[in-house]
Amino acid sequence: MWKNRAGEIAMNSPNPTFTPVGQDALDWLGTDPVPAKPYYDPEWFELEREAVFRRSWQQIGHVCELPENGSFIRRDLEVLGASLLITRGQDGEIRAFHNVCTHRGTILVDEDEGKRNTFSCPYHMWTFGLDGDLISAPDFESFHVSKAECALPAVACEVVGGLIFVHLGKPEGTLREWLGPYATKLEMMPVARATTFSEYVYEIDANWKLTYDNFQENYHLRFIHPSAAGPVTSPDNPFAYPTAYDFHGPHRSQRIWTKPDMDPPTGVQAIAFQRGAVQAMADGILGTETAKDYLGLFPNFFLFGSPMQHFSHTVYPIAAGKSRGVIRLYWIGEDETPSERFAREYFMATARDVHTEDRAVIERGHKGLASGALKHIHFQTQESLCRHLFNMVAEKVEAYRSEKEGAAA
Amino acid sequence: MSTQTMLPESFTALEPFAVDWALTGSAARAARRGSSTAEERQAFYAAAAGELPRALDYLDGKGFDAFDAADERLMAMMLSLGHVALAVEQQKDAEPRHARDRAHMQITKTPAGA
Repeated sequence: MWKNRAGEIAMNSPNPTFTPVGQDALDWLGTDPVPAKPYYDPEWFELEREAVFRRSWQQIGHVCELPENGSFIRRDLEVLGASLLITRGQDGEIRAFHNVCTHRGTILVDEDEGKRNTFSCPYHMWTFGLDGDLISAPDFESFHVSKAECALPAVACEVVGGLIFVHLGKPEGTLREWLGPYATKLEMMPVARATTFSEYVYEIDANWKLTYDNFQENYHLRFIHPSAAGPVTSPDNPFAYPTAYDFHGPHRSQRIWTKPDMDPPTGVQAIAFQRGAVQAMADGILGTETAKDYLGLFPNFFLFGSPMQHFSHTVYPIAAGKSRGVIRLYWIGEDETPSERFAREYFMATARDVHTEDRAVIERGHKGLASGALKHIHFQTQESLCRHLFNMVAEKVEAYRSEKEGAAA
Repeated sequence: MSTQTMLPESFTALEPFAVDWALTGSAARAARRGSSTAEERQAFYAAAAGELPRALDYLDGKGFDAFDAADERLMAMMLSLGHVALAVEQQKDAEPRHARDRAHMQITKTPAGA
Protein backbone atom coordinates (compact mmCIF):
# COMPACT_ATOMS: atom_id res chain seq x y z
CA MET A 1 0.00 0.00 0.00
CA TRP A 2 2.84 2.35 0.87
CA LYS A 3 4.38 1.79 -2.56
CA ASN A 4 1.14 2.70 -4.32
CA ARG A 5 0.80 5.86 -2.32
CA ALA A 6 4.42 6.81 -2.98
CA GLY A 7 4.10 6.08 -6.67
CA GLU A 8 1.08 8.27 -6.92
CA ILE A 9 2.82 11.12 -5.16
CA ALA A 10 5.96 10.71 -7.27
CA MET A 11 4.00 11.61 -10.39
CA ASN A 12 2.68 14.73 -8.69
CA SER A 13 6.06 15.82 -7.33
CA PRO A 14 8.56 16.04 -10.19
CA ASN A 15 10.93 18.28 -8.22
CA PRO A 16 12.15 16.61 -5.05
CA THR A 17 12.79 19.17 -2.35
CA PHE A 18 14.33 17.14 0.43
CA THR A 19 18.09 17.06 1.04
CA PRO A 20 19.29 14.80 3.84
CA VAL A 21 21.99 15.94 6.25
CA GLY A 22 25.30 14.81 4.71
CA GLN A 23 27.87 12.58 6.39
CA ASP A 24 30.44 15.42 6.13
CA ALA A 25 28.57 17.37 8.78
CA LEU A 26 28.57 14.32 11.06
CA ASP A 27 32.09 12.94 10.51
CA TRP A 28 33.20 14.33 13.87
CA LEU A 29 31.09 11.66 15.57
CA GLY A 30 33.12 8.87 13.93
CA THR A 31 32.01 6.04 11.70
CA ASP A 32 33.37 2.94 13.47
CA PRO A 33 31.15 0.08 14.56
CA VAL A 34 29.96 0.59 18.14
CA PRO A 35 30.64 -2.03 20.83
CA ALA A 36 27.51 -4.02 21.69
CA LYS A 37 28.31 -4.82 25.31
CA PRO A 38 27.45 -1.41 26.83
CA TYR A 39 23.89 -2.02 25.65
CA TYR A 40 23.35 -5.02 27.91
CA ASP A 41 26.30 -5.54 30.26
CA PRO A 42 25.38 -5.23 33.99
CA GLU A 43 28.95 -4.14 34.86
CA TRP A 44 28.78 -1.26 32.38
CA PHE A 45 25.37 -0.34 33.76
CA GLU A 46 26.83 -0.14 37.29
CA LEU A 47 29.34 2.43 35.99
CA GLU A 48 26.60 4.39 34.23
CA ARG A 49 24.71 4.85 37.50
CA GLU A 50 27.48 7.08 38.84
CA ALA A 51 29.16 8.31 35.66
CA VAL A 52 25.97 9.32 33.85
CA PHE A 53 23.04 9.58 36.23
CA ARG A 54 24.78 10.90 39.36
CA ARG A 55 26.45 13.56 37.21
CA SER A 56 23.54 14.80 35.14
CA TRP A 57 20.46 16.92 35.63
CA GLN A 58 17.50 14.60 35.26
CA GLN A 59 13.96 15.59 34.28
CA ILE A 60 11.62 14.45 37.02
CA GLY A 61 8.32 16.31 36.75
CA HIS A 62 6.44 19.46 35.82
CA VAL A 63 5.41 22.49 37.85
CA CYS A 64 1.73 21.79 37.09
CA GLU A 65 2.01 18.78 39.40
CA LEU A 66 2.65 21.22 42.24
CA PRO A 67 -0.19 23.67 41.64
CA GLU A 68 -0.43 25.13 45.14
CA ASN A 69 1.79 25.97 48.06
CA GLY A 70 1.92 22.73 50.05
CA SER A 71 1.62 20.47 46.99
CA PHE A 72 4.08 17.58 46.88
CA ILE A 73 5.04 14.66 44.64
CA ARG A 74 7.12 11.59 45.39
CA ARG A 75 9.40 10.20 42.70
CA ASP A 76 11.58 7.11 42.79
CA LEU A 77 14.77 7.12 40.74
CA GLU A 78 15.71 3.44 40.67
CA VAL A 79 18.96 4.04 38.81
CA LEU A 80 20.34 5.79 41.89
CA GLY A 81 18.24 3.85 44.39
CA ALA A 82 16.68 7.14 45.44
CA SER A 83 13.23 8.16 46.59
CA LEU A 84 12.65 11.90 46.23
CA LEU A 85 10.14 14.25 47.81
CA ILE A 86 9.46 17.37 45.77
CA THR A 87 7.48 20.16 47.42
CA ARG A 88 6.14 23.63 46.79
CA GLY A 89 6.75 25.61 49.96
CA GLN A 90 4.62 28.31 51.53
CA ASP A 91 6.96 30.74 49.76
CA GLY A 92 6.01 29.17 46.40
CA GLU A 93 9.51 27.70 45.93
CA ILE A 94 9.91 24.21 44.50
CA ARG A 95 12.43 22.10 46.43
CA ALA A 96 13.58 18.49 46.30
CA PHE A 97 14.75 16.29 49.16
CA HIS A 98 15.66 12.71 49.73
CA ASN A 99 12.40 11.18 50.94
CA VAL A 100 14.20 9.75 53.95
CA CYS A 101 13.60 10.51 57.63
CA THR A 102 16.84 11.77 59.14
CA HIS A 103 16.28 9.83 62.35
CA ARG A 104 16.99 6.30 61.15
CA GLY A 105 16.39 6.39 57.43
CA THR A 106 12.76 5.36 57.06
CA ILE A 107 11.04 6.35 53.81
CA LEU A 108 9.08 9.40 54.91
CA VAL A 109 6.21 9.76 52.42
CA ASP A 110 4.32 6.89 50.84
CA GLU A 111 1.78 8.69 48.67
CA ASP A 112 2.54 9.59 45.05
CA GLU A 113 1.23 13.14 45.45
CA GLY A 114 -0.86 15.34 47.69
CA LYS A 115 -1.04 18.59 49.62
CA ARG A 116 0.23 19.11 53.16
CA ASN A 117 2.14 21.46 55.38
CA THR A 118 4.09 18.80 57.26
CA PHE A 119 5.37 15.28 56.72
CA SER A 120 5.50 12.90 59.68
CA CYS A 121 7.53 9.73 59.69
CA PRO A 122 5.25 6.88 60.79
CA TYR A 123 8.06 5.22 62.78
CA HIS A 124 8.75 7.75 65.59
CA MET A 125 6.75 10.76 64.38
CA TRP A 126 9.61 13.01 63.38
CA THR A 127 7.84 15.83 61.55
CA PHE A 128 9.30 17.92 58.74
CA GLY A 129 8.14 21.09 56.98
CA LEU A 130 7.79 21.79 53.25
CA ASP A 131 11.24 23.40 53.38
CA GLY A 132 12.73 20.18 54.76
CA ASP A 133 13.35 21.51 58.27
CA LEU A 134 12.74 19.22 61.22
CA ILE A 135 9.82 20.86 63.04
CA SER A 136 9.34 18.45 65.90
CA ALA A 137 10.38 15.05 67.19
CA PRO A 138 9.05 13.34 70.34
CA ASP A 139 11.46 13.38 73.30
CA PHE A 140 14.00 15.21 71.15
CA GLU A 141 15.89 16.35 74.28
CA SER A 142 17.17 12.79 74.65
CA PHE A 143 19.01 13.00 71.31
CA HIS A 144 22.51 14.34 71.00
CA VAL A 145 21.99 16.48 67.93
CA SER A 146 20.34 19.80 66.99
CA LYS A 147 17.18 20.08 64.91
CA ALA A 148 19.08 22.15 62.36
CA GLU A 149 21.34 19.17 61.73
CA CYS A 150 18.32 16.95 61.10
CA ALA A 151 16.75 18.70 58.08
CA LEU A 152 15.86 16.44 55.15
CA PRO A 153 18.86 16.02 52.81
CA ALA A 154 18.31 18.54 50.01
CA VAL A 155 18.72 17.60 46.36
CA ALA A 156 19.63 20.22 43.75
CA CYS A 157 16.39 21.12 41.97
CA GLU A 158 15.79 23.71 39.24
CA VAL A 159 13.02 24.52 36.77
CA VAL A 160 13.27 25.55 33.11
CA GLY A 161 10.26 25.77 30.80
CA GLY A 162 7.99 24.40 33.51
CA LEU A 163 10.03 21.20 33.66
CA ILE A 164 11.52 20.18 37.01
CA PHE A 165 15.03 18.76 36.98
CA VAL A 166 17.04 17.30 39.86
CA HIS A 167 20.76 16.59 40.24
CA LEU A 168 21.75 13.92 42.74
CA GLY A 169 25.46 14.63 42.62
CA LYS A 170 27.38 17.88 42.76
CA PRO A 171 26.26 19.99 39.81
CA GLU A 172 29.08 21.76 38.01
CA GLY A 173 26.75 24.61 37.08
CA THR A 174 23.15 25.64 36.91
CA LEU A 175 20.51 23.72 34.98
CA ARG A 176 20.41 26.60 32.51
CA GLU A 177 24.14 26.25 31.86
CA TRP A 178 23.69 22.50 31.45
CA LEU A 179 20.94 23.00 28.85
CA GLY A 180 22.67 25.85 26.98
CA PRO A 181 20.60 27.07 24.01
CA TYR A 182 18.02 24.34 24.61
CA ALA A 183 16.86 26.17 27.73
CA THR A 184 15.46 28.93 25.52
CA LYS A 185 13.79 26.38 23.26
CA LEU A 186 12.07 24.74 26.25
CA GLU A 187 10.78 28.11 27.33
CA MET A 188 9.30 28.75 23.88
CA MET A 189 7.47 25.44 23.78
CA PRO A 190 3.90 24.83 25.04
CA VAL A 191 5.31 22.79 27.94
CA ALA A 192 6.36 26.06 29.57
CA ARG A 193 2.70 27.07 29.80
CA ALA A 194 1.22 23.61 30.38
CA THR A 195 -1.23 23.16 33.22
CA THR A 196 -2.10 19.48 32.79
CA PHE A 197 -1.11 16.40 30.79
CA SER A 198 -2.09 12.96 29.61
CA GLU A 199 0.31 10.22 30.63
CA TYR A 200 0.96 6.59 29.81
CA VAL A 201 3.72 4.39 31.15
CA TYR A 202 5.40 1.23 29.94
CA GLU A 203 7.85 -1.20 31.44
CA ILE A 204 10.27 -2.84 29.06
CA ASP A 205 12.85 -5.60 29.23
CA ALA A 206 15.49 -3.55 27.48
CA ASN A 207 18.48 -1.33 28.20
CA TRP A 208 17.71 2.38 28.53
CA LYS A 209 20.06 3.37 25.67
CA LEU A 210 18.61 0.85 23.26
CA THR A 211 15.13 2.03 24.24
CA TYR A 212 16.05 5.70 23.92
CA ASP A 213 17.82 5.17 20.58
CA ASN A 214 14.66 3.89 18.97
CA PHE A 215 13.15 7.34 19.43
CA GLN A 216 16.05 9.24 17.91
CA GLU A 217 16.23 7.67 14.47
CA ASN A 218 13.60 7.67 11.72
CA TYR A 219 15.13 4.82 9.72
CA HIS A 220 12.65 2.36 11.28
CA LEU A 221 9.48 4.40 10.81
CA ARG A 222 8.19 2.96 7.57
CA PHE A 223 8.79 -0.60 8.72
CA ILE A 224 7.58 -0.49 12.31
CA HIS A 225 4.86 2.14 11.88
CA PRO A 226 3.41 1.34 8.45
CA SER A 227 0.11 3.01 9.23
CA ALA A 228 1.49 6.19 10.82
CA ALA A 229 4.58 6.58 8.61
CA GLY A 230 2.94 5.96 5.22
CA PRO A 231 1.46 9.44 4.92
CA VAL A 232 4.62 11.23 6.08
CA THR A 233 7.14 9.64 3.69
CA SER A 234 7.65 10.46 0.04
CA PRO A 235 9.85 9.36 -2.87
CA ASP A 236 12.44 12.06 -2.20
CA ASN A 237 12.48 11.24 1.54
CA PRO A 238 11.34 7.62 1.77
CA PHE A 239 12.49 7.26 5.40
CA ALA A 240 11.15 10.64 6.58
CA TYR A 241 14.63 11.66 7.72
CA PRO A 242 14.90 15.00 9.51
CA THR A 243 15.97 18.19 7.78
CA ALA A 244 18.65 19.04 10.35
CA TYR A 245 20.56 17.77 13.36
CA ASP A 246 21.95 19.90 16.12
CA PHE A 247 24.24 19.14 19.05
CA HIS A 248 25.07 21.00 22.22
CA GLY A 249 27.37 19.30 24.69
CA PRO A 250 25.75 15.97 25.60
CA HIS A 251 22.34 17.07 24.20
CA ARG A 252 21.08 16.78 20.66
CA SER A 253 18.07 17.59 18.53
CA GLN A 254 16.54 17.07 15.12
CA ARG A 255 14.23 19.14 13.02
CA ILE A 256 11.32 17.05 11.79
CA TRP A 257 10.64 17.04 8.06
CA THR A 258 7.05 17.56 6.97
CA LYS A 259 5.87 16.26 3.65
CA PRO A 260 4.71 19.33 1.70
CA ASP A 261 1.96 17.55 -0.22
CA MET A 262 0.65 15.30 2.55
CA ASP A 263 -2.82 13.91 1.91
CA PRO A 264 -5.37 15.43 4.28
CA PRO A 265 -6.65 13.09 6.99
CA THR A 266 -10.08 11.51 6.62
CA GLY A 267 -12.80 10.09 8.86
CA VAL A 268 -12.62 10.42 12.62
CA GLN A 269 -8.94 11.40 12.39
CA ALA A 270 -9.87 14.45 10.32
CA ILE A 271 -12.48 15.51 12.88
CA ALA A 272 -9.97 15.13 15.72
CA PHE A 273 -7.45 17.30 13.85
CA GLN A 274 -10.05 19.97 13.06
CA ARG A 275 -11.32 20.14 16.63
CA GLY A 276 -7.81 20.02 18.08
CA ALA A 277 -6.55 22.74 15.75
CA VAL A 278 -9.25 25.15 16.93
CA GLN A 279 -7.95 24.84 20.48
CA ALA A 280 -4.27 24.92 19.51
CA MET A 281 -4.99 28.12 17.60
CA ALA A 282 -6.77 29.62 20.62
CA ASP A 283 -3.76 28.69 22.77
CA GLY A 284 -1.46 30.39 20.24
CA ILE A 285 0.74 27.33 19.78
CA LEU A 286 0.17 26.68 16.06
CA GLY A 287 3.04 27.54 13.71
CA THR A 288 5.55 28.43 16.42
CA GLU A 289 9.27 28.42 15.68
CA THR A 290 9.87 25.30 17.79
CA ALA A 291 6.95 23.28 16.33
CA LYS A 292 9.33 20.94 14.46
CA ASP A 293 12.06 20.68 17.09
CA TYR A 294 12.56 17.32 18.70
CA LEU A 295 14.95 17.72 21.62
CA GLY A 296 16.96 14.94 23.21
CA LEU A 297 18.28 16.14 26.55
CA PHE A 298 21.03 14.01 28.04
CA PRO A 299 20.73 11.50 29.43
CA ASN A 300 17.17 10.22 29.03
CA PHE A 301 14.61 12.89 28.11
CA PHE A 302 12.84 13.82 24.87
CA LEU A 303 10.49 16.67 24.09
CA PHE A 304 8.72 17.14 20.76
CA GLY A 305 7.59 20.69 19.98
CA SER A 306 4.54 19.68 17.93
CA PRO A 307 1.58 21.82 19.04
CA MET A 308 -1.03 19.08 18.51
CA GLN A 309 0.93 16.23 20.06
CA HIS A 310 3.34 18.00 22.33
CA PHE A 311 4.84 15.06 24.14
CA SER A 312 7.76 14.31 26.42
CA HIS A 313 9.25 10.87 26.85
CA THR A 314 11.58 9.91 29.67
CA VAL A 315 13.31 6.53 29.70
CA TYR A 316 14.13 5.62 33.29
CA PRO A 317 16.77 2.91 33.68
CA ILE A 318 15.95 0.25 36.26
CA ALA A 319 18.60 -2.39 35.51
CA ALA A 320 20.94 -3.20 32.61
CA GLY A 321 18.05 -4.95 30.88
CA LYS A 322 15.04 -3.17 32.32
CA SER A 323 13.62 0.32 31.85
CA ARG A 324 10.46 2.31 32.28
CA GLY A 325 9.14 4.79 29.74
CA VAL A 326 6.91 7.67 30.79
CA ILE A 327 5.18 9.57 28.00
CA ARG A 328 3.27 12.77 28.62
CA LEU A 329 1.26 14.93 26.28
CA TYR A 330 1.27 18.39 27.79
CA TRP A 331 -1.81 20.60 27.50
CA ILE A 332 -2.56 24.24 28.24
CA GLY A 333 -5.70 24.56 30.38
CA GLU A 334 -8.20 21.91 31.40
CA ASP A 335 -10.59 20.55 28.75
CA GLU A 336 -12.58 23.66 27.99
CA THR A 337 -15.01 22.09 25.54
CA PRO A 338 -16.20 18.56 24.73
CA SER A 339 -14.48 18.95 21.34
CA GLU A 340 -11.20 19.68 23.05
CA ARG A 341 -11.68 16.68 25.33
CA PHE A 342 -12.30 14.49 22.30
CA ALA A 343 -9.21 15.76 20.44
CA ARG A 344 -6.94 15.28 23.46
CA GLU A 345 -8.11 11.73 24.09
CA TYR A 346 -7.69 10.92 20.41
CA PHE A 347 -4.17 12.38 20.20
CA MET A 348 -3.12 10.53 23.34
CA ALA A 349 -4.46 7.26 21.93
CA THR A 350 -2.69 7.91 18.61
CA ALA A 351 0.68 8.48 20.26
CA ARG A 352 0.11 5.39 22.41
CA ASP A 353 -0.52 3.29 19.31
CA VAL A 354 2.76 4.37 17.77
CA HIS A 355 4.77 3.85 20.96
CA THR A 356 3.23 0.40 21.31
CA GLU A 357 4.86 -0.61 18.05
CA ASP A 358 8.20 0.75 19.22
CA ARG A 359 8.11 -1.04 22.56
CA ALA A 360 7.56 -4.43 20.98
CA VAL A 361 10.53 -4.20 18.61
CA ILE A 362 12.89 -2.71 21.21
CA GLU A 363 12.36 -5.70 23.51
CA ARG A 364 13.16 -7.94 20.59
CA GLY A 365 16.35 -5.96 20.02
CA HIS A 366 17.47 -6.28 23.60
CA LYS A 367 16.90 -10.01 23.64
CA GLY A 368 19.15 -10.41 20.61
CA LEU A 369 21.89 -8.16 21.95
CA ALA A 370 21.85 -9.70 25.43
CA SER A 371 22.53 -13.11 23.90
CA GLY A 372 26.09 -11.87 23.39
CA ALA A 373 26.04 -12.96 19.75
CA LEU A 374 27.33 -9.60 18.52
CA LYS A 375 30.57 -7.79 19.30
CA HIS A 376 29.45 -4.64 17.51
CA ILE A 377 26.39 -2.83 16.24
CA HIS A 378 26.22 -0.33 13.39
CA PHE A 379 24.86 3.17 13.01
CA GLN A 380 24.39 4.81 9.62
CA THR A 381 24.62 8.55 8.91
CA GLN A 382 20.95 9.08 9.75
CA GLU A 383 21.39 7.28 13.06
CA SER A 384 23.95 9.83 14.20
CA LEU A 385 21.93 10.87 17.22
CA CYS A 386 22.24 7.30 18.52
CA ARG A 387 25.97 7.42 17.91
CA HIS A 388 26.19 10.73 19.74
CA LEU A 389 24.43 9.26 22.79
CA PHE A 390 26.84 6.34 22.81
CA ASN A 391 29.84 8.66 22.48
CA MET A 392 28.64 10.85 25.35
CA VAL A 393 27.94 7.89 27.63
CA ALA A 394 31.23 6.19 26.77
CA GLU A 395 33.17 9.41 27.40
CA LYS A 396 31.59 9.80 30.83
CA VAL A 397 31.99 6.16 31.77
CA GLU A 398 35.66 6.16 30.72
CA ALA A 399 36.35 9.36 32.65
CA TYR A 400 34.69 7.91 35.74
CA ARG A 401 36.60 4.65 35.38
CA SER A 402 39.92 6.54 35.15
CA GLU A 403 39.05 8.57 38.25
CA LYS A 404 38.23 5.41 40.15
CA GLU A 405 41.44 3.71 39.04
CA GLY A 406 43.41 6.87 39.83
CA ALA A 407 41.92 6.98 43.30
CA ALA A 408 42.63 3.30 43.88
CA ALA A 409 46.27 3.55 42.72
CA MET B 1 -32.11 -1.52 29.39
CA SER B 2 -34.17 -1.58 26.18
CA THR B 3 -37.02 0.44 27.68
CA GLN B 4 -34.79 3.05 29.28
CA THR B 5 -33.16 5.85 27.29
CA MET B 6 -29.48 6.28 28.03
CA LEU B 7 -28.57 9.02 25.55
CA PRO B 8 -29.91 12.51 24.70
CA GLU B 9 -33.06 12.11 22.63
CA SER B 10 -31.63 13.25 19.31
CA PHE B 11 -29.10 10.39 19.48
CA THR B 12 -31.48 7.46 19.93
CA ALA B 13 -29.93 5.72 16.92
CA LEU B 14 -26.81 5.15 19.06
CA GLU B 15 -28.73 3.61 21.99
CA PRO B 16 -27.76 0.01 21.12
CA PHE B 17 -24.08 0.92 21.67
CA ALA B 18 -24.37 2.86 24.90
CA VAL B 19 -23.97 -0.05 27.32
CA ASP B 20 -20.79 -1.27 25.65
CA TRP B 21 -19.10 2.01 24.85
CA ALA B 22 -20.26 4.75 27.26
CA LEU B 23 -17.42 3.98 29.64
CA THR B 24 -15.91 6.17 32.34
CA GLY B 25 -12.12 6.62 32.20
CA SER B 26 -9.62 6.74 29.33
CA ALA B 27 -8.00 3.46 30.41
CA ALA B 28 -11.36 1.64 30.43
CA ARG B 29 -12.16 2.96 26.97
CA ALA B 30 -8.77 1.88 25.65
CA ALA B 31 -9.18 -1.53 27.28
CA ARG B 32 -12.63 -1.96 25.70
CA ARG B 33 -11.13 -1.32 22.30
CA GLY B 34 -8.50 -3.94 23.11
CA SER B 35 -10.99 -6.60 24.16
CA SER B 36 -13.55 -5.96 21.40
CA THR B 37 -14.09 -8.10 18.34
CA ALA B 38 -13.66 -6.74 14.82
CA GLU B 39 -17.44 -7.04 14.35
CA GLU B 40 -18.18 -5.00 17.47
CA ARG B 41 -15.77 -2.27 16.40
CA GLN B 42 -17.08 -2.16 12.87
CA ALA B 43 -20.72 -1.94 13.98
CA PHE B 44 -19.98 0.84 16.49
CA TYR B 45 -17.82 2.77 14.03
CA ALA B 46 -20.38 2.46 11.23
CA ALA B 47 -23.15 3.80 13.47
CA ALA B 48 -21.21 6.49 15.35
CA ALA B 49 -18.47 7.98 13.12
CA GLY B 50 -20.93 9.93 10.98
CA GLU B 51 -22.61 11.28 14.14
CA LEU B 52 -19.38 12.52 15.72
CA PRO B 53 -19.49 16.14 14.44
CA ARG B 54 -23.14 16.51 15.42
CA ALA B 55 -22.52 14.95 18.84
CA LEU B 56 -19.56 17.25 19.56
CA ASP B 57 -21.49 20.32 18.38
CA TYR B 58 -24.40 19.34 20.61
CA LEU B 59 -22.14 18.76 23.63
CA ASP B 60 -20.12 21.94 22.97
CA GLY B 61 -23.41 23.85 22.85
CA LYS B 62 -24.36 22.55 26.28
CA GLY B 63 -20.97 22.90 27.96
CA PHE B 64 -19.66 20.56 30.70
CA ASP B 65 -21.42 22.45 33.49
CA ALA B 66 -24.85 21.77 32.01
CA PHE B 67 -24.21 18.05 31.30
CA ASP B 68 -26.79 15.59 32.58
CA ALA B 69 -26.17 11.84 32.84
CA ALA B 70 -27.26 11.25 29.24
CA ASP B 71 -24.82 13.90 28.00
CA GLU B 72 -22.03 12.33 30.05
CA ARG B 73 -22.73 9.00 28.38
CA LEU B 74 -22.77 10.53 24.91
CA MET B 75 -19.42 12.21 25.66
CA ALA B 76 -17.91 8.96 26.93
CA MET B 77 -19.17 7.11 23.84
CA MET B 78 -17.57 9.63 21.51
CA LEU B 79 -14.29 9.31 23.41
CA SER B 80 -14.52 5.53 22.94
CA LEU B 81 -15.15 6.16 19.25
CA GLY B 82 -11.75 7.88 19.08
CA HIS B 83 -10.07 4.70 20.32
CA VAL B 84 -12.11 2.45 18.04
CA ALA B 85 -11.44 4.68 15.03
CA LEU B 86 -7.71 4.05 15.44
CA ALA B 87 -8.39 0.34 15.07
CA VAL B 88 -10.75 0.74 12.11
CA GLU B 89 -9.03 3.56 10.20
CA GLN B 90 -5.35 3.02 11.07
CA GLN B 91 -4.50 -0.45 12.35
CA LYS B 92 -7.05 -2.42 10.31
CA ASP B 93 -5.90 -6.07 10.08
CA ALA B 94 -2.98 -5.42 12.42
CA GLU B 95 -5.35 -4.60 15.30
CA PRO B 96 -5.41 -8.02 17.07
CA ARG B 97 -1.62 -8.23 17.36
CA HIS B 98 -1.45 -4.53 18.12
CA ALA B 99 -3.95 -4.95 20.97
CA ARG B 100 -1.71 -7.53 22.63
CA ASP B 101 1.33 -5.23 22.50
CA ARG B 102 -0.72 -2.19 23.49
CA ALA B 103 -1.72 -3.75 26.80
CA HIS B 104 1.81 -2.88 28.05
CA MET B 105 1.11 0.85 27.70
CA GLN B 106 -0.76 1.83 30.86
CA ILE B 107 -2.76 5.04 30.77
CA THR B 108 -2.18 6.74 34.13
CA LYS B 109 -3.55 10.26 33.70
CA THR B 110 -5.75 12.23 31.30
CA PRO B 111 -7.62 15.55 31.64
CA ALA B 112 -10.87 13.59 31.02
CA GLY B 113 -9.99 11.26 33.91
CA ALA B 114 -7.77 8.20 33.37
